[in-house]
Amino acid sequence: MSLTFLAPLFLLGLAAVAVPVIVHLVNRERRNAVAFPSLMFLRRVPFRSMSRQRIRHRALFALRILALALLALAFARPFVDRESRSLSASGAGPREVVVLLDRSYSMAYGDRWSRATAAAERAIAGVGTADRATLVLFDDEAVTAAGPTGDLAVVRAAIASSRPGAGSTRYAPALGVAQQLMDRAERPRREVVLISDFQRAGWDGQELPRLVAPATLSTIDVGDSATANSLVTGVDVTRDATDGVDRAIVAARVARKGDRAITGARATLEINGREVEAKPLTIPASGATSVIFAPVAVPDATTRGTVRVSGPASDDRLPVDDVFHFVIATAQVVNVLLVESPGASASRTMFLPRALGIGESPSFRVVQRRLDNVTAADVDAARVVFLHGPGMPSGAVGDRIRALVRGGGGLIVALGENSGTRAWSGTSELLPGSVGEIIDRSGERGGTMGSLDRNHPALESFRAARSGDFTSARYLRYRSLSPGSSDAVLARYDDGSVALAERRVGDGRVLVFTSTFDGYWNDLPVQPVFLPLIQSLVRHAAAWTAQPSSHTVGQVMALTEPGAGGELLAVSPSGERTRWSETDSIRSLALREQGFYEIRDANAVAASRTIAVNPDVVESELGSFPADELARAVSPAAGAATTAAGFTTLSVAEREKRQTLWWYVLVLALLLLAAESLLSNRLSRAARRDVAPASARMNHA
Amino acid sequence: MFTGRGQAAGAGTGFIDPRVLAKIDNLELLARTVVEGFINGLHRSPNLGASMDFAEHRSYMPGDDLRRIDWRLYGRSDRYFVKEFEADTNTNLLILLDVSASMDFGSGAVTKLQYAKYLASCLGYFSSRQRDRLGLVTFVDRIVDYVPPSAKHLRIVLQTIARATASGQGSIDTALRQIAEFARRRQIIVIISDLYDDPERVVRAVARLRNRGNDLIVLQVLDPAELDLPFDEASNFEDMETGESIPVVPELLREQYRTLMQEHTATLARMMREERIDYALFNTDQPLDHALFAYLADRQRLSRIR
Repeated sequence: MSLTFLAPLFLLGLAAVAVPVIVHLVNRERRNAVAFPSLMFLRRVPFRSMSRQRIRHRALFALRILALALLALAFARPFVDRESRSLSASGAGPREVVVLLDRSYSMAYGDRWSRATAAAERAIAGVGTADRATLVLFDDEAVTAAGPTGDLAVVRAAIASSRPGAGSTRYAPALGVAQQLMDRAERPRREVVLISDFQRAGWDGQELPRLVAPATLSTIDVGDSATANSLVTGVDVTRDATDGVDRAIVAARVARKGDRAITGARATLEINGREVEAKPLTIPASGATSVIFAPVAVPDATTRGTVRVSGPASDDRLPVDDVFHFVIATAQVVNVLLVESPGASASRTMFLPRALGIGESPSFRVVQRRLDNVTAADVDAARVVFLHGPGMPSGAVGDRIRALVRGGGGLIVALGENSGTRAWSGTSELLPGSVGEIIDRSGERGGTMGSLDRNHPALESFRAARSGDFTSARYLRYRSLSPGSSDAVLARYDDGSVALAERRVGDGRVLVFTSTFDGYWNDLPVQPVFLPLIQSLVRHAAAWTAQPSSHTVGQVMALTEPGAGGELLAVSPSGERTRWSETDSIRSLALREQGFYEIRDANAVAASRTIAVNPDVVESELGSFPADELARAVSPAAGAATTAAGFTTLSVAEREKRQTLWWYVLVLALLLLAAESLLSNRLSRAARRDVAPASARMNHA
Repeated sequence: MFTGRGQAAGAGTGFIDPRVLAKIDNLELLARTVVEGFINGLHRSPNLGASMDFAEHRSYMPGDDLRRIDWRLYGRSDRYFVKEFEADTNTNLLILLDVSASMDFGSGAVTKLQYAKYLASCLGYFSSRQRDRLGLVTFVDRIVDYVPPSAKHLRIVLQTIARATASGQGSIDTALRQIAEFARRRQIIVIISDLYDDPERVVRAVARLRNRGNDLIVLQVLDPAELDLPFDEASNFEDMETGESIPVVPELLREQYRTLMQEHTATLARMMREERIDYALFNTDQPLDHALFAYLADRQRLSRIR
């Protein structure tokens, strides 16, 4: 039970007691200003005799001060709070303590981690048997490592077994978990302890989950004021096959954080775990440099590469980011079977092979056949079949093409003179619409491309402004195409006829271009846009996606590569295994560790795919922000209502009942003011009686 | 030398009360009222010159006017002596009137400035009657008005005195330095001020003029309230010149103030006397002619001793 105030701001009114002091001390002497020729002699008299500080009428003075103080107290609405013990967050009672421990890889800098764990130990040291403690480890995701529990040994063990990971700092998930724990807490006193190095990169000032009263947040900053760190920020792999041997040229970007340059360091390149080259390295303070290694021959299998920076330990106290892993994949080739009409001349079949022969990433291996000599084996070896002019092959070849498309392969059709309606009989499930008659626009000097869906994945490479001028080509002839309701139209001519359409069949894609690529029906092959258009269409039909040489910790990968239909197994760098059965519809892998992940068929021994994972370099920016900023951003708002479970919230009427005390204080203040008036009048009359003779004396003088 | 009216001064009756004088607007009339009856020649010219009053004999020096040789004495002593005479008139009288803000103080019928104006007018009228050349300087910490000495300047001097108002901060030292620059001719200088300054500085400033051969008369004018501090109420006392204000409880420091004031006037009187400068203190509740008579009588007496 304690005395508290409903409107404590009114207590500022206590400052008004200074008014009587001023009135009694200062104004009393300012009533009559006497003009005097010179203060020369008055100033020589010692000051003490002027009696400035003497308070006259002490009783009146005391009355005024007391009345004003009581008025201020009355307006502050005092009331006796009988339940303050249970309502107060800072009072006595069982505690709910949540320790948020940052385990991002920047916490591995120097002795930060040992200081952080020591701080966590101290934070739970005072937790008793009636209290409960929870340990939450966080980087870019938050995990409850121990608790809520009253058993300190469990929490201590969790602290001791935790290590900094490879993730980067994000405060929002951790504070979200803390708030959830606070919401479920049953103890009246709720404390959140945030232990971190408070990296600037971890919080960009965005809104964070705000704790709700009575939870309180305290921060422990284990960061360092001065930092020294070297890191590999990235690796570029360039392929070189000019002399027939596939080589990779590795260039690493190395950066230095801090105000001290580093000399005498080494950058080493490892291929498949074996060091192949080391180079001396000098990095300027707060600068960066690049290291280019000699070309290395790439074997057929996927090659693991690692670039390391090493130097004096005192110059680099964060070893995690000194290593950068990457993968040199085998040359990515898309096999294309190009089927021409039987009687097509060489001048009509030259454009497509040349356009596809230039590609590097991926490169295209083109097998060119006439319709009359194409075989089923040719189709089996292809990823994409390109029917340039003829209709659908009949027999086994046609069946293989259908199977290819359903299995995830691609079919591209360019309609020509020989691909009329009859050429497509029995293929209605493949083509995006029904093929019609030839539209001849040579009389009007040909038509142009009218509209293009540049947002479609097949034309995505032309999405940028002024990329791909499709209007310069003239189309003299093309076939009409009536697409179905489920077919996508990618391009139309200026008369509205369909130029390019797509249909998804099974896992594969069928693209139909209603004119030719031979330079007869149009002049598209001699336009600059021809080559990127053809390559883009083939890449899309082949469902090809570029495989990056490395990934970042925190990314989630969808395992959608061909052949991933069976049971899959992923092995992390630390040996942790993740399995997906055939029936799993969602196959995604969260990359949490630094190193190489292996993905393979659960029954196979060799890895079908290797993924290199590196920490986010943003975490290597060790600059910090004041912990107070974050504490202010997430601390409970002033005056927030206490709505947590287990707490009694009084209604307005109940509060009014308990506040009758201020009435008595107000009445007492008014009584004192009345007494003050009486006394003041009496003293004024006495003063007037005294003043009259004095004035008379003055006039007489 | 004094009239019967002046002799009556000793009895304290027959003098004109300052409150009566305050009702006379015309300064010339006022001065005439006060001075009437004074005789000529109360002061002597500091210059030796041609007049009927013999001063002394001295030995003949080559170049002296032969007409001034006293042949009778030569007959008796067989030596050449020259007769010297006092120039008893046509001297300059320069009145220096303090018009600083502190002179505006008055607890009775007249302020110090009004009283000082009466004094200056009377002295001016008085000297003009003797055919002296009359000049006036009003000053604060600088010269406010200057009327050069002339036998015809009585009207101008009286008008200037009538027009003078009290304002500004006074500094007798600074003002007398400026006056010393142009008052090169030997003359009688009358300083009328309340002399609120360090006595040493006042005397040093006045002595500077005296050392140039001038005959100095210092008249200090003070109000009775300045001398006695008769106030009862604790108040803020505001300096009329600086505007500075300090809280004062008069009843507690009256005695100390009086002592300090008396010491001040006594020190001034002593130091002036040591410097052979005429000094008189005028209380504004004293009749003006009484004060003048008393002072002039003293001066006459002292001049004989000298």
